[in-house]
Amino acid sequence: MIGVGKIKQYSNVLDKPLSKGKQEVSLSAFAFLFSELVQYNQTQVDNIAELERRLEDAGYAVGARVLELLCHRDKGNRRETRLLGILSFVHSTVWKVLFGKVADSLEKGTEHEDEYMISEKELLVNKFISTPKDMGTFNCGAFVAGIVRGVLDSAGFPAVVTAHFVPMEGQQRPRTTILIKFAEEVLQREARLG
Amino acid sequence: MAPAAPRSGDAIFASVERVNAELFTLTYGAIVRQLLTDLEEVEEVNKQLDQMGYNIGIRLIDEFLAKSNVSRCVDFKETAEVIAKVGFKMFLGVTASVTNWDADGTCCSIVLEDNPLVDFVELPDTCQGLYYCNILSGVIRGALEMVSMKTEVTWIRDVLRGDDAYELQVKLLKQVPEEYPYKDDE
Amino acid sequence: MQFFGGSEISPSPPVPTATGNNAHMMYVFNRNGVCLLYREWNRPLHTLNPQQDHKLMFGLLFSLKSLTAKMDPTSADKGNLGVPQLPGQGCSFHSFRTNTYKLSFMETPSGIKIILVTHPRTGDLREPLKYIYNLYVEYVAKNPLYTPGTSIRCELFNTALDQYVRSIA
Repeated sequence: MIGVGKIKQYSNVLDKPLSKGKQEVSLSAFAFLFSELVQYNQTQVDNIAELERRLEDAGYAVGARVLELLCHRDKGNRRETRLLGILSFVHSTVWKVLFGKVADSLEKGTEHEDEYMISEKELLVNKFISTPKDMGTFNCGAFVAGIVRGVLDSAGFPAVVTAHFVPMEGQQRPRTTILIKFAEEVLQREARLG
Repeated sequence: MAPAAPRSGDAIFASVERVNAELFTLTYGAIVRQLLTDLEEVEEVNKQLDQMGYNIGIRLIDEFLAKSNVSRCVDFKETAEVIAKVGFKMFLGVTASVTNWDADGTCCSIVLEDNPLVDFVELPDTCQGLYYCNILSGVIRGALEMVSMKTEVTWIRDVLRGDDAYELQVKLLKQVPEEYPYKDDE
Repeated sequence: MQFFGGSEISPSPPVPTATGNNAHMMYVFNRNGVCLLYREWNRPLHTLNPQQDHKLMFGLLFSLKSLTAKMDPTSADKGNLGVPQLPGQGCSFHSFRTNTYKLSFMETPSGIKIILVTHPRTGDLREPLKYIYNLYVEYVAKNPLYTPGTSIRCELFNTALDQYVRSIA
């Protein structure tokens, strides 16, 4: 028999020790998988908005799982309950785990109280992308927006999350900004907590 | 100028940019989930995963060739070894071995010691016919087709279905030479 | 040379063999003979329409490859003239030179063919062609919005390619 002994069998996935999250795959493996996610979803839609929505859905599933994993592993099942706490958790902890670095910046929207922005000079999913002219403002970052929404929603902070290209002065490539607009209930609760 | 020697899978994996395997695993999980919702039938999901793998394979082959310095893939036996030793390592960071060669050297098994696609996965009762990792067989089929080898790739063992390892059978159907693509009167 | 976002292409670009604007044109074909990319920098003379031009270039390489392999005095692995070969089979030529231009050629086992036509005095371009293949892998093969087998319209690739070709030839 071949390969026996290397793979331990567990009758149930819960018996398996939770991985420590130190394993890696090549960035290319992820890039090819992500490309196929985009290509497949392009066959399922007839406009850009719908494509972004479907990528966001896929990201949402990832975000929800990431929160479970991280809470279990790093926080002894404690969850953030305050707005700034959860935002900094996304901007640093989640980003570090998924993308290997803390996000470039986290800012509060200047015009609206309920808006926050996480920006990245070169978001992993946009690294290899050249958007054809006929796809207009399409942004693969919708997937990452979905991840953020998945984390926030599962932690009890429902929000609308979208991804945008923002041109940068003196740079040929725009940066990507993930715009988070919290639901009204979140802000009301935050106000009550004082 | 002597051709550069092929590089080892470990050397390549150490030199390329890497990401946390969890991002990869969870993204793959999200894809499978999307397919289950869109297609409903498990058999259709298997087919689509294989197709997606094929689509990846026909792109990934160029990354593989560019990074590994492999300059020819003419011999099937050598090629199978290179897939297992270099291919799996440089993309997924795992090692695989080649065994069970048939007498004519046209059919073998690739056995995976570790499989980053399946962390956190347990097949629910409703998905018992699902070949969760079917994307991998598609990748191998697509990549080999680009180096002129038509193959059939099937799962022999799958841990998620109660077996003790992941084993893929790769069968060479034929080697297709390059043809002049234009007709004379075109 | 600076690439966007500091992303590293490995291996790093080989040292330029010449400087100036000596490149005439470049073709990239896939294994089915589809011209994925045609670029020209300095081509004063056009005698054919683009389709005919691409077809002629592909045909030239196809025949030349088969002939050079057939005439190989050192290898028995040469097949019969007119019998198609597998990419990577037999010997392979990498450039030829006329009194007015030099054609450098690279073919991968996956059948991607990169052709660069330059000034006749250009040096060995095998490493630069490999590097261009790496650019193709990074910015075309991995671009989620690129469909394999279609012509390349990736701005990241085109910009990087343009910069690089100007630096080498």
